[in-house]
Amino acid sequence: MDPLKTEIVVLGAGPGGYAAAFYAADREKKVILVDEGRRLGGVCLNRGCIPSKALLHATHLIREAKASSQHGITFGDPRIDLEQMRSWKESVLDKLGQGLGGLAQKRGVEVLQGRGHFEDSQTLRVETPAGQKFINYETAIIAVGSKAAMPAAFDLGNPRVMTSTEALELEEVPDELLVVGGGYIGMELGTVYATLGSKVTLVELLDSILLGADADMVRPVMRYAQEAFKEVRLKTKVLKMATSGKQIKVTMESDKQRIEELYDRVLVCVGRAPNCKDLGLQNTKVQMDDRGFVKVNAQQRTADPAIYAIGDVVGGALLAHKATKEGRVAVEVITGEASSFQDVVIPAVIFTDPEVAWCGLTETEAKEKGIAVEVAKFPWAASGRAMTLDRTDGVTKLIIEPETERILGVGIVGAGAGELISEGVLAVEMGATARDLAGCVHPHPTLSETLMECAEVFYGYPTHTFVRKKTGSLLRKAAG
Amino acid sequence: MDVKLPRLGEGADSGVVVNIMVSEGEQIQKDQTILELENEKAVAPIPSPLSGTIQKIHVKEGDEITVGQVLISLAEEAAAPQPAAKAKAEEFPQRAEKAGAPVREAPEEAGLAQEYRYEPKSGFPPPAPPSIRKLATDLGIDLTRVQGSEPGGRITLNDVRAYIQRLQQIAFAKKPAVTREAPAREPESIDFAKWGPVSKKRMSPLRRTVAERTSEAWATVPHVFQLDEGDITAAMELRKKYAPLYEKKGARLTLTGLVLKAAIAPLKKFPIFNASLDETTQEIVYKEYFHIGVAVDTESGLIVPVIRDVDKKNLLEISKELAELAERTRQRKISLEELQGGTLTISNLGGIGGAHFTPIVYKPQSAVIGLGQGELKAVVRDGKVEARLMLPVTLSYDHRLIDGADGARFVRELVQALESFKEADFNLEGK
Repeated sequence: MDPLKTEIVVLGAGPGGYAAAFYAADREKKVILVDEGRRLGGVCLNRGCIPSKALLHATHLIREAKASSQHGITFGDPRIDLEQMRSWKESVLDKLGQGLGGLAQKRGVEVLQGRGHFEDSQTLRVETPAGQKFINYETAIIAVGSKAAMPAAFDLGNPRVMTSTEALELEEVPDELLVVGGGYIGMELGTVYATLGSKVTLVELLDSILLGADADMVRPVMRYAQEAFKEVRLKTKVLKMATSGKQIKVTMESDKQRIEELYDRVLVCVGRAPNCKDLGLQNTKVQMDDRGFVKVNAQQRTADPAIYAIGDVVGGALLAHKATKEGRVAVEVITGEASSFQDVVIPAVIFTDPEVAWCGLTETEAKEKGIAVEVAKFPWAASGRAMTLDRTDGVTKLIIEPETERILGVGIVGAGAGELISEGVLAVEMGATARDLAGCVHPHPTLSETLMECAEVFYGYPTHTFVRKKTGSLLRKAAG
Repeated sequence: MDVKLPRLGEGADSGVVVNIMVSEGEQIQKDQTILELENEKAVAPIPSPLSGTIQKIHVKEGDEITVGQVLISLAEEAAAPQPAAKAKAEEFPQRAEKAGAPVREAPEEAGLAQEYRYEPKSGFPPPAPPSIRKLATDLGIDLTRVQGSEPGGRITLNDVRAYIQRLQQIAFAKKPAVTREAPAREPESIDFAKWGPVSKKRMSPLRRTVAERTSEAWATVPHVFQLDEGDITAAMELRKKYAPLYEKKGARLTLTGLVLKAAIAPLKKFPIFNASLDETTQEIVYKEYFHIGVAVDTESGLIVPVIRDVDKKNLLEISKELAELAERTRQRKISLEELQGGTLTISNLGGIGGAHFTPIVYKPQSAVIGLGQGELKAVVRDGKVEARLMLPVTLSYDHRLIDGADGARFVRELVQALESFKEADFNLEGK
């Protein structure tokens, strides 16, 4: 059989891969999109962002309903129909997946289901359900993503020890659930299961949850977790697990004490590993770093001139929107445009309760790198909107370059922070100053006002809170 | 924490690791040199921003590394946090346009502020919306050169437009008369292997620098070579006498040291030999300091470290500093700053042999002195033939600044200084 010929083949149809394939097709390239999944969308759509957010939304209502007794509205105990919840979640994924299929078709992107394997720098072999196919391409984009890591010591072959993938299937609501790892995945899924009724114990090796977020951003989430979870154990190491009847016996070490406990299920969220194995990369010139991520430059080029790579498989922040942006950069470079993934602001959102979101420089990073910054904070207790939502457990802050008043970073913790952060991204990307933000009228009463008032805090004249110690100088005030 | 390669200054965003000065598990101090990086200009030591214990070294010798790459992982001491980026922004030597070149002031006329550079303490790129950044990438424009007009220095489309117009003005303005472009010639690829077996080796960054700088000097500086001989019989006798005394003080008395000392009087008498031509302004810059470079032959090529304020040092101090500087240069432990700011260069090949040679002026200096091997020669003194130790001396100079008569006068003055060394000059206390 003659090999298929194409200008671009994209391997992996996650948010990096499909975005790259669509963009390349929009730029008049002949594109084949290869993915082993039945449904397009990769981890994001099938086993990550989307299903977890569907479950978080569904369970959020339970928490809202409980809290509303404070507001004079009391509901009875919720009846949870897992079967229905699962099928609703699946219906969301199906709709999105079909949508992607339709978008591919309209653009003339050929979708090939099957596992791809590089034969050489110019040829991809795909094991499709209908047999082997060979693709002869000019340029390949690797976008195969990552998968939840399962350390060998925890891998008992027992379905009661889950990664995020299985946890999102929502097979049952275990009575006692252990979550190993206090990163964003562990915290989000811990929240889902705790709301559904599991007694959640969360253990984290480090001395704080949500590594990467500033301490003041983590605090409200920690407060929530301490209340909603059975326990949060920091500086605790899980040593081993063993099957014990219908339970898992877990041995851990905390405070030099050895603890042995039984759990109905264990959720392991200790990081993600790139899917580089068995791709035939050894038949190309593609190089990997010592952690197994594909090495690329700012143009997303690998060491092989015919092959680009984007998304989780190249490391950095393992985020869908980062992959999408990298996909755009790769396609622009391939089509001859000067483009590079440099100085790109990648926002991070953690969908806990409350949500945490930040972009640009964090306080932690500024400290580590010794960058002198001024930080302006606006507590949500001073926001009328937060009060009406009964969600005053939030903080908005700006990280500001003192000499120029330029906004280098924005951090928000609070209800809906994930939606609010986009204004921060715009500010940082546009090189806005705190003055710019303070000068833009924000609608009242909204949570977005906290960004404007935060900038006003910097100059010392916020309307809804009082700053005794002015961060910005009085001269600036006069200039304003 | 991970220690990353900081920004070293303009253009120097990568280099080759030539020497790793630390090992895993070692306790190091803040500012201690972690490794040496060779780039196109020199070998620069990369100091540690913090004290601590090295957990892991992530690079190896021969690696080509770029800014931001992790060099080592350091377990910090529980001391007060030291701002790391301070070192990045302020403590690292900036790569000068030309090592040794005098700092150039931005020319004021015609608003040609092309020397503007955005260098915030935070190290962030200049503030500009993504659309403007994209435009700059497309046009190949470095936004750090564009002065933003909006709050916080934000760059707008108008700023980019104004910048491009300014560049055009500069491009079409009258060019300095001295820069005559050599006709461009495409290098020709020659297959040497067709005449016999060959082996190939990549030019090291240092080699490339030497090649670039010497061809530039050769192409732009009209060289004149003035050859002479100096009678160093007396000087060498004094050297023999005082050498043991100097050795006791830990110094080696060398001919190069003596010439360094001897060069000061003629330099003071003929300041043009201590001057530079500023090609952008057509001004002659007379320097009131005497920093003399000494050519050092290292394993990987020629490097010229500079001895500062030679006129203010006695022979003992000069000898000590010369030996120490030469040794560090050979070990490639010399900093960028120590290669900069020279006003004259001395190249002594006498240790290897040979008579006169014609060194190339080390631009933007105006002259270089080349020394050959001293040799006993039959010389007529007072009507009698005597055996005297004669030193071949060459002065190469820039004819744009210096005429032949002054060249001859300078060499005679230098030779006389060499011939009239006195005991007092070797005195350990005097200047």
